[in-house]
Amino acid sequence: MSDLALDDLRVIDLSQGIAGPYCAKMLADCGAEVIKVEPPQGDYARTLGPFPDDVPHHDKGGLFIHLNGNKKSVTLDIETESGRIVLRKLLARADALVESYAPGHLTSLGLGYDDLKDEFPDLVYCSITPFGQTGPYSGYRGNSLTCMALSGLMYITGDPDREPLCTGGEPAEYFAGLNAFIGVLAAVEHRASNGGGQQIDVSMLEALGAADEYNTTLYSFLGAIRKRFYSRHLFAYPADIYPCKDGHIVVVPGATGFPLGMAVLMEQMELEQNPLFANLWMRSIQWQKFEELLRPYLLEHDWRDLLTRAQELRMPFGPVMSPRLLREDEHMKARGFFQEVEQPELGRTQVAGPPFKMSETPLRSGPAPTLGEHTQDALLELGYDAEEARILRERGVT
Amino acid sequence: MAGLPLSGIRVLDLTQVYAGPTCTRILCDLGAEVIKLEGLKRTDITHLLVIADNDSHDDFWNRMGYFLYRNAGKKSLTLDFSEPDAVELLKRLIPHADVVAESFTPRVMAQHGLDYESLRKIRPDLIMISLSGYGQNGPWRDYTAYGMGLEPASGISSLTGYRGGEPLRTGISFTDPYSGIAGAGAVLTALHYRRRTGKGQYIDLSEQEAAIPIVGYALMDYALNGREPERIGNRSPWFAPQGCYPCRGEDDWLVLTVRDDAEWQAFCEVVGQPKWAGDERFADVLGRRRHHEELDELIASWTREQGHIEAMHLLQAAGVTAAAVLNPKEVLLDPHLRERGYFETIDQPGVGPRPVPRQTGARFSAFDVSTRAPAPKLGEHNKEILQGLLGLSDEEIAGLEERKIIGDKPELAAGEDLMRMFVQWPVTTFLQMGAVAALEPDYKQQLGLEQKAGE
Repeated sequence: MSDLALDDLRVIDLSQGIAGPYCAKMLADCGAEVIKVEPPQGDYARTLGPFPDDVPHHDKGGLFIHLNGNKKSVTLDIETESGRIVLRKLLARADALVESYAPGHLTSLGLGYDDLKDEFPDLVYCSITPFGQTGPYSGYRGNSLTCMALSGLMYITGDPDREPLCTGGEPAEYFAGLNAFIGVLAAVEHRASNGGGQQIDVSMLEALGAADEYNTTLYSFLGAIRKRFYSRHLFAYPADIYPCKDGHIVVVPGATGFPLGMAVLMEQMELEQNPLFANLWMRSIQWQKFEELLRPYLLEHDWRDLLTRAQELRMPFGPVMSPRLLREDEHMKARGFFQEVEQPELGRTQVAGPPFKMSETPLRSGPAPTLGEHTQDALLELGYDAEEARILRERGVT
Repeated sequence: MAGLPLSGIRVLDLTQVYAGPTCTRILCDLGAEVIKLEGLKRTDITHLLVIADNDSHDDFWNRMGYFLYRNAGKKSLTLDFSEPDAVELLKRLIPHADVVAESFTPRVMAQHGLDYESLRKIRPDLIMISLSGYGQNGPWRDYTAYGMGLEPASGISSLTGYRGGEPLRTGISFTDPYSGIAGAGAVLTALHYRRRTGKGQYIDLSEQEAAIPIVGYALMDYALNGREPERIGNRSPWFAPQGCYPCRGEDDWLVLTVRDDAEWQAFCEVVGQPKWAGDERFADVLGRRRHHEELDELIASWTREQGHIEAMHLLQAAGVTAAAVLNPKEVLLDPHLRERGYFETIDQPGVGPRPVPRQTGARFSAFDVSTRAPAPKLGEHNKEILQGLLGLSDEEIAGLEERKIIGDKPELAAGEDLMRMFVQWPVTTFLQMGAVAALEPDYKQQLGLEQKAGE
């Protein structure tokens, strides 16, 4: 069995939803022991589905399983003093805490960073919130949609004559999750060379906003306020999704695709001389004329055929994948991307594999815990006896 | 940089454009010394994107906004790999490197004898990361890839689009920064392992795969129910109403999510519509979902009379999840982001101070991840690195310059004069097309970078 890169770390995951749990899952998949501390009713992501046959069940939610593989679940009501005492015992043995409560909430429970830093001077305390711990919007409510809106990314996505469009899949949450993953690792490295823990403040809005490609730059360098224009890349038209015979294809001719490669692909060599093929700015400006040439050809051909031939011509066309296409795709199979885990209550279940492959310390895939699956074990490990564990359970603390 | 987590770590950065440079920029912010390598015949294409003030005099390739954002703080070394001598110099740098990052298609590094197996013979504990479109193996391994193609390849675009409409891309190459962030996490993980064990390793990051977890909900729905996702525009699979609504200004919009019945009551009260609160059709989430279109009409009838930013503050004060859809200028001027110091002012030589968003999304209490320098000029650190690390003589440096293995000017295939014209962006044409909403010549004053005349 190969090594796990982070198996010297223990993390308390007090977060719920998507961003914090994804951060903690990355740590767990890389080998950290992650104890997910959930309120007795469970992380609210357990209620978000999708459920088999749409029948809700707190241990069968697809999104929860996606975000919590390889963790242990301990239920604990930290709104009670009895619960907080157990949490402190867990923190005494932990390297990092990941949390996603609204700013100030944990402080109101005596669990803010300043409350804990003297007791746990080496603790890395990572907070993930929509807008960060400080600033005028820190108390505001947010989600991926509000972050898409305030980051400027939504304004530039969609059709010019319609409302701005948010990107599917709650992306701001995942951007924040990865930034928090980086944050925890960087703080652990810092602790190794300089000593001491610290507080990390991850704002979903900033994590997503930093992804901006050139839109704030167009203003700060040229004074141009870019507007959405079919989500088109302004420096590389067409570089966009088009319908084809059996679905969709991303037409990306790349830096050297025009005019020759595109003329060859479209089997009309005279197009090489067409100024719409030869001149980028003319093509971008007279795009309707260009698309009168492009679209009919695409509609007569299958995406796999277009993709294969374009790639043979060294043009970086791309496929438009759906969950089904990803699961059935030969490339994904050859890469072994999807992993099968033995998920309690569901049996063998296919889950997404890791976002990168490491030669010496491959990331692991594992099932998500059922609600409170590890509460008893954790309590015994902390030194409580079976009788005390029963009392905590019956008093609703765990 | 003492006191930063990656101080003492040196990264050789062979990546270009967006994903790889984001990865190494984060490592740089965290204290690593990042040396960006470019061939003079194969300079990073972002040396041609977004020129300051649309003015392409002199060394225009050193004044690009796109390049600045993702390369601030790095050092620049030019080395043309088509020359065997350049490859040898690169190999001589490997003992001085902790990390090598590259983003070519998989065959390229091996062609030059620079694959991981070869490099780790030179430095056994080397960490190397390859960021490629589709990964290092499998039938698509040799496919070339740009970020514009990879967001759809990861499945995200199948979820993005107006209701009942075509799949759409985000208005940026969305998976590029995401892969870069994931890559930085991978390198940090590998450094942690190396510190414990002394072992290096190789990281294979497929940009397509890296972003697939973003569509986790839809993947699981397919795994559990065999169901493919529908495009639902700005609506939510869980909450109702949710959407994007027109405001008073010409292209001003507001997004909002009503997460539960209490928020619905609060919303009706704050917008002064008690009769909506009492309407049985909208009393519960299922009713609001069923009557979403009627609700959208009603909500829009209120938002049309509101300023988008004022409406955000009003609704948030009442506990409703809402946000203004900011345009890029409004983002630059947003008071929350400004107070948090989200934009750093970087004084780029030849350009002057400009606001650049922090590329590392985490803030740390024990150290500051501020950018430490502007972006390097092309070849700015040739001498420093080749003499400082490899001990080359002045004569040897001059010989390399003469053979154009190193230098400070790109060898542009189309010729310098043509590129000088090309990089001037036809802004007024884009304004006429509608891809640019407005053009403001006084943008430096608006951003507070220059004083207004007479002040």
